[in-house]
Amino acid sequence: MSKMTGGPRGWLKVVTAALFGFMLLLGPVSPAFAQQSDSGVAGKKFVIGTDTTFAPFEFRKNGELTGIDMDLIRAIAKSEGFEVEIRSLGFNAALQALTSNQVDGVIAGMSITDERKKVYDFSEPYFESGIQMAIAKGNTDIKGYEDLRGKTVVAKTGSEGETYAKSIAEQYGFTVKSLDQSATMYESVKAGSAVAVFDDYPVLAYGVAQNNGLKTVTEKVPGGSYGFAVNKGKNTALLGAFNDGLAKMKANGEYDKLLNTYLADPTAEVPSNFWDLLVKSFPALMKGLGNTLLVTGISFVVAMALGLLAGFMKISSNIVVRGIATTFVNIFRGTPLLLWAFMFYFGLPQLTGVEISIWVAGVLTLSLNSGAYIAEIVRGGIQSVDPGQLEASRSLGLGYGKSMQKVVVPQAFKMMTPSLINQLIIMLKDSSLLLAIGFGELLYQGQQIYAANFRVTETLIIVGLIYFVAIMALTKLANYADRKFNK
Amino acid sequence: MSASTVEAKPAKITVNGLRKSFGSNEVLKGIDVEIGEGEVVCIIGPSGSGKSTLLRCLNKLEEISAGHVVVDGFDVTDPKVDINEVRRHVGMVFQHFNLFPHMSVAENIMLAPVELKKATKAEAREQALKLLDRVGLREKADARPASLSGGQKQRVAIARALAMSPGIMLFDEATSALDPEMVGEVLQVIRDLAAEGMTMVLVTHEMGFAKEIGDRVVFMADGVVCESGKPEDLFGNPQQERTKEFLSKVL
Repeated sequence: MSKMTGGPRGWLKVVTAALFGFMLLLGPVSPAFAQQSDSGVAGKKFVIGTDTTFAPFEFRKNGELTGIDMDLIRAIAKSEGFEVEIRSLGFNAALQALTSNQVDGVIAGMSITDERKKVYDFSEPYFESGIQMAIAKGNTDIKGYEDLRGKTVVAKTGSEGETYAKSIAEQYGFTVKSLDQSATMYESVKAGSAVAVFDDYPVLAYGVAQNNGLKTVTEKVPGGSYGFAVNKGKNTALLGAFNDGLAKMKANGEYDKLLNTYLADPTAEVPSNFWDLLVKSFPALMKGLGNTLLVTGISFVVAMALGLLAGFMKISSNIVVRGIATTFVNIFRGTPLLLWAFMFYFGLPQLTGVEISIWVAGVLTLSLNSGAYIAEIVRGGIQSVDPGQLEASRSLGLGYGKSMQKVVVPQAFKMMTPSLINQLIIMLKDSSLLLAIGFGELLYQGQQIYAANFRVTETLIIVGLIYFVAIMALTKLANYADRKFNK
Repeated sequence: MSASTVEAKPAKITVNGLRKSFGSNEVLKGIDVEIGEGEVVCIIGPSGSGKSTLLRCLNKLEEISAGHVVVDGFDVTDPKVDINEVRRHVGMVFQHFNLFPHMSVAENIMLAPVELKKATKAEAREQALKLLDRVGLREKADARPASLSGGQKQRVAIARALAMSPGIMLFDEATSALDPEMVGEVLQVIRDLAAEGMTMVLVTHEMGFAKEIGDRVVFMADGVVCESGKPEDLFGNPQQERTKEFLSKVL
């Protein structure tokens, strides 16, 4: 996963940007401290920005931020006697925060480049990265690049790994296919649709250490070095302290020990079986399920209100009113849900200049989409009631509104109920699409888990089971309510 | 029409130059009818002649294209007139009963009095039971409409139409959807109403019944009143060719 170009990691950037937006809503980022201090760091507190998930440098395990970067900065802080407050902002957001002095330093698996040196001051390199090739564990045919002739390999779109693979592809006669995520690349190698993957050495090494089913057979190709960064000319004391601490750790062996924790020990902390994985991932997944249910519940209430309104507007005799409702329905039925998620979360703030909460964006997306479908359910339900019912009620002298309320809607509602239950279930499943804007729902939590432990299939099975149980329970509940109230 | 107000009763319903079009299709082409208090008028004629449309114009279930309809002193074509108020004076019974399936029999009858704040729930129920007594269905008060036979449904529908104590009752082919053995019980209820002096307009295919119950019979064809008069005259000695032709088919 390259940080050289700043251009790759498409969707992850989206997620990190989304999370950054979310953090902003949780509270303003307080200004950094001790910017002018040149006289030591002891006793001071520094705010350090980092990425959200970039295993093995920073990732969450059981909800706690961990990884090489995290362990390193904490160990150095301890040895040099200062305090750190970590802000998991996302890579690009962390750099922006550093430029605007909202954080004192950034440690985020960041390559030291000439371009970045113009705006930031870097520490001594604390990690030598590079590109490495990996193949499936059981593959004994591939022993080097020369065995790749006529085969297909995968690399991440826009990454250094891709650049390197393409540079030698002609020489060794293989094809490079580009994919978006590390986890997908590894799965396609394990599944056999590609024989090898070219990826960043630390990411690959960590994956192998996590028993992701791959092995390496060639040496790494040296690449960039990672450094800790402060704003140009600022926080020189902090930078000095980092260099001092790093030198001490390298000298006393702590540094190697730290790296080995993540890159060398193949059984370290990996849930050994399905049950272990289930137990370890359960708290995070339950939190995801909670968010899924909450966002679905709120959205369904809003969607019902919208749908009832638009449904009634659709049967209005006024052509303008009808036209408004029809336009609403056509727009939201005729466009993908995901498009609106991006639109509300990224597009709207840029158009209006007002930050939008991820919950607001999620609820808007789901409720407007479902509202359009519910409008059609409501219209269909009302129109399926025999017109004679309304006539009979009107002939008794009841007004239109009263007649709808007492005679037509109760009958329509009875007919609508199965469709509404269906819509609720569709909405619950569709809420998983909100992971694309970084909403912490169930599938998003699952992705976070397998991004760290590479147990894609098992994690997905667990997530699938949780969805299934939740939806079955919801269906039973809804049918019970239907029987009780629609006798 | 010519005969009409032989008796000197005040007009309960006056229809003047009534026209009604559905799009470009004109189904009522200028109707003039006057119906006196306590009069029972049966409208007969071939299907498509506009009988039901005329009836539905009387309580404005159909928008009126042109002309005037005055019911109980209210001009229903006047936009300022509260049509809901007028409808409370005009009960209507439909071919397909149109009972509210999600309510019990009693609730069907109680709906209008309760919702229009004419009675408390208790009073409305008491009245509903009395009306059910009148149509002989008191024991069905708490049944659902779906459990009733066609004849019973129509008797409940009549009781429901009577709930607001209307001065006029309109019957739109009230027995057409019934099995033959159930027609009698519904006609008996209508007969009782006539005997009580209710002003009634019936669109019907029951020629025998029209002859028996009608003070006057109106024969419609092609959107106009073709002929009208006392039943014995219209059935016994029709004047118009169109009437003769129709009667020869149905009698």
